[in-house]
Amino acid sequence: MGRPGLNRRQLLATAGGLGIAATFGFAALGTGADALTSGARTRVRYWNLFSGGDGANQVTMVDAFRKANPDVAVKASTLTWGGPYYTKLAMAAAGNRAPDLAVMHQGRIPGFAPGRLLDAWDMDLLAKYGVKEADFNPVLWQRGLVDGKLYALPLDIHVQLNFYRRDVCEKAGLLDTDGRLPSATSPDEWFEILKAAKGQLKKGLQTLGLHAHDENFSWWFFLSFYQQLGGTYFNDDRTEVTFDTDKATQVLEFLRKHVTDGYVNVGEADGEAFIAGSPFTWEGNWSVPYFNGEKIDYGAQPLPPVFGTPATHAESHSFVLPHQSDRGGAANEGAHLLAAYMVKNATAWAGGGHVPAYLPTFQDKAYLELAPQNEYSRPAMDHPATEPRVWFAGSTGVLAHRVGPIIAAANLGSAKPDAAARRMRSALAQLLAAKNPMDGRTAAQEQAGADA
Amino acid sequence: MTVPTPTPVMHKPRSTWTPGQIALTLVALALSAVWVAPLLWALSTSLKTPTESVAPPHWIPEDFTLESWKGVLEAGNIPNWFVNSLVVSVCVTFIVLLVASLAGYGFARTEFRGKSALMALTMAGLMFSPAILGVPLFTTVQSLGMVDTYWGMILPQCAPAAMVYILYKFFQSLPRELEEAAFIDGAGRWRIFFTIVIPLSKPSLSAVGIFTFIASWNNFLWPFMVTNNPDLMTMPNGIATVQNSFGIVWPQLMAGGIIAGLPLIAVFVFFQSQIVRGVAHTGLAGQ
Amino acid sequence: MSSTTTTLATATTLRPRTATEADSARLRWGRRFQHGGWFVAPFFVLYGLFVIVPVVRGLYLSFTDANISGEHTGFIGLDNYREALKDDLVWNSLWHSVQFTFYVVPMIVVAALLMALIAHHTVHFKWLWRLCFFMPFLLPSAVIANLWWWLFQPTNGMVNHVLGTDTPWLTQKSTAMLAVVIATLWWTVGFSFLLYLAALQAIPHHLYEAAELDGANAFQRMLHITVPNLRNITGLVLALQILASLQVFDQAVVMYQFGPGPEESTRTFVQYTLEQGFTSYRVGYASAISFILFLIIAAVALGRMWLLRKREEGTLR
Repeated sequence: MGRPGLNRRQLLATAGGLGIAATFGFAALGTGADALTSGARTRVRYWNLFSGGDGANQVTMVDAFRKANPDVAVKASTLTWGGPYYTKLAMAAAGNRAPDLAVMHQGRIPGFAPGRLLDAWDMDLLAKYGVKEADFNPVLWQRGLVDGKLYALPLDIHVQLNFYRRDVCEKAGLLDTDGRLPSATSPDEWFEILKAAKGQLKKGLQTLGLHAHDENFSWWFFLSFYQQLGGTYFNDDRTEVTFDTDKATQVLEFLRKHVTDGYVNVGEADGEAFIAGSPFTWEGNWSVPYFNGEKIDYGAQPLPPVFGTPATHAESHSFVLPHQSDRGGAANEGAHLLAAYMVKNATAWAGGGHVPAYLPTFQDKAYLELAPQNEYSRPAMDHPATEPRVWFAGSTGVLAHRVGPIIAAANLGSAKPDAAARRMRSALAQLLAAKNPMDGRTAAQEQAGADA
Repeated sequence: MTVPTPTPVMHKPRSTWTPGQIALTLVALALSAVWVAPLLWALSTSLKTPTESVAPPHWIPEDFTLESWKGVLEAGNIPNWFVNSLVVSVCVTFIVLLVASLAGYGFARTEFRGKSALMALTMAGLMFSPAILGVPLFTTVQSLGMVDTYWGMILPQCAPAAMVYILYKFFQSLPRELEEAAFIDGAGRWRIFFTIVIPLSKPSLSAVGIFTFIASWNNFLWPFMVTNNPDLMTMPNGIATVQNSFGIVWPQLMAGGIIAGLPLIAVFVFFQSQIVRGVAHTGLAGQ
Repeated sequence: MSSTTTTLATATTLRPRTATEADSARLRWGRRFQHGGWFVAPFFVLYGLFVIVPVVRGLYLSFTDANISGEHTGFIGLDNYREALKDDLVWNSLWHSVQFTFYVVPMIVVAALLMALIAHHTVHFKWLWRLCFFMPFLLPSAVIANLWWWLFQPTNGMVNHVLGTDTPWLTQKSTAMLAVVIATLWWTVGFSFLLYLAALQAIPHHLYEAAELDGANAFQRMLHITVPNLRNITGLVLALQILASLQVFDQAVVMYQFGPGPEESTRTFVQYTLEQGFTSYRVGYASAISFILFLIIAAVALGRMWLLRKREEGTLR
């Protein structure tokens, strides 16, 4: 083996490496970059999961807050939406390194062991900053309560929508005199609409974006139609599975038919296809700024009430206080102030497609004139379809993780709808028997504890 | 790229462009093209506008733009991640070189109580990547209070049994006469190690160093698990977790990916011969 | 290149005794090295803290119902293991890891060998082949995953464009894992390629010259010289690839956005342990299923050692 002497390149590389290590200093290794930027003012560390259009609106709101409250320094961190976000939030809270304020989906609250990973809101502080229960939709507010204490301060409701291209539907003669798409009230009616729109298609485009392979979207769509049929999941005591496989089969067959009848190209990037001229896509209302930015002529309505009762999947972004063993002081007060400010000044947020939870904003004249929001905001607030209230539910939670893939499999045809419905039922039974790892209790035990 | 081949020139006839050679070179060329194509496609995508990127595929951007590169760099996170990656990788490389060479030498040249047991423990560590014990490793680091710190990212990467083994094999292969001569001249054990053995070991040490650096720079799982604070994210981490909640801006994603990959590609271009020799050395040691 | 370890003792006694002065120095040399433990101490502090302690801790946790917050931990005996044996997803995800290994390892060995043969036998541009084949190995896994996620897009991805197909690679069960395999092959083959290249270059040239003189043609030379000389390195490549492939995680998880892939067809074993630990917060259960993989890996590694020893004994006799 050759052993050339140390050449200049190696020497430079080594020296450079050591230089870098020295510059940052070994002493700083224990803290991380953000310690270097702290100032003397009150500092509020705030975590959220907003990216894309939501992220931009979020930045606008936080900047407005900074301008209005120059003595509070907000350190906002955006993490990836989904499982990783909740994992990191839970670990930060468990490790007592939690931020002062965080955003969370309301459906996730029961799984976050309120009291252990979350701290309750200080109602006096909130009142001081102008937030009171009367300004919120009662149902929404109630869902943030655990044992009578408020854990989730709602910012919005966000729903799954049927986005439609006005230009294409117009050509197919589907619009009413106001230029809106009348809601289909039966599966047949809905497929008639799809069929008519398909006739106007550019070659290669799909008729409907269904996210057929996506576990989250599949679950949200299923949930909407299953609720339209009046389906339930568990009894009130959380001791029994009440999941109705017949109704579930009906929903799964309905979803599957979109694929078998050729209205959906599986694997298509649905949002992009919609921009390119697909007449319909089912997406969350967060796509509003995206589609607005592309300057296309479109409308948005709740998922069609094809099984009678209107219902469309709704979740709520809420503010929570991650658990800190020494919560209190200026940072805590700053967190209350920031959350109150954002809830009350959610105009930018509403422009981004979300339905504001704060009623004064919701009833504001300017908001009521905003399109396409005015087409869906009222029904979204009135007919939400939500996940059952159990520890394993909530956005990208264990429940979605377990049943979502089963629905997707039915959509794609690799599981028969009735078999998939039975698999869903047994998954639900397993989850009901499982203990919440955070407190070692099953859903039934937690329910009983909460009632007691 | 004008790095000459470090391998000894074949003792073949000098008229090299035989028909066989031409055919072989063409095959190699085709295969190389296939291997480079994905990267070129990424580059091409990163120079398109978002709208053009989702249009029917074509290689040459019609609407050539650097917007995505600018967007990624201005987003403010990449420089931060870059610094984090650099701090972590440089520290890991430095610590690994130090402890692995000491341990390798200790196993190869010294005697102490329990040596064979420790050697066996080290050998057992050859089979695992930390991924498999990620959960208990995390709780260990958590109980040491090192979650969300640079140390928490660095130290668990600093105990690679494989590197100790490679250096152990190398030190064993060194002729011991030099060390003995120095010993007779009255040099101490540590002085022998630092003034004689280390200078003799440069090819092995640079191989170990370069591979440690690559592995650490590209380590995705561990920094992902141990950091909750987005300010501490390393490059691969940031790249993996920053996506849009609706639609994906492909040109930005590709530009970010290329930025994350460039430093090591540059390292490779500069140190190609050392890396190749390093792999050879590693491989031969492992046989 | 032999894997037999020469011990200090035999190396010393085999050397011819020359000068008595050096001889006594050598004796002292041996004695003074009684304190060699200090050389390995720094390594073992780190190794103990971050390898041995987690293994022991993981074993302990696997008998508890620990959660990520560290509270409410109770000893539950073998319950976790019992549950794991009945958990479909354990077997399902283990199967995916094994499936991945079965696909990717032979592909890598064959591709790496072919590439090395080509690069070794061309006279010009060797640096270019090395650069092209090895470059992907230098990219972070997350970049690889994002890149191939893009390449495999159904309507505007390059793969379908080049092949003239419209396969929905990433959204159908039948191709989802294949997509990960292809990305991995592209990414990691460079390392094995370099190992093979080094082994080819280490074959003494005179062997070929002698065979040529004996009238052996190119194919016979390949069969009788190249192939036997590559046996050891193939064993190494196989072992490294099998161990690494069974522990696959990064590519699959980033390519499918931390999800389980279409119809849960790409959830790997490591992914499932981490999902249990970090998404479901069940640290105890996650540790238990980690240990199942731990045992499988240990079996593979011990199996390889046993094979090596058998072969050595065979050649020694």
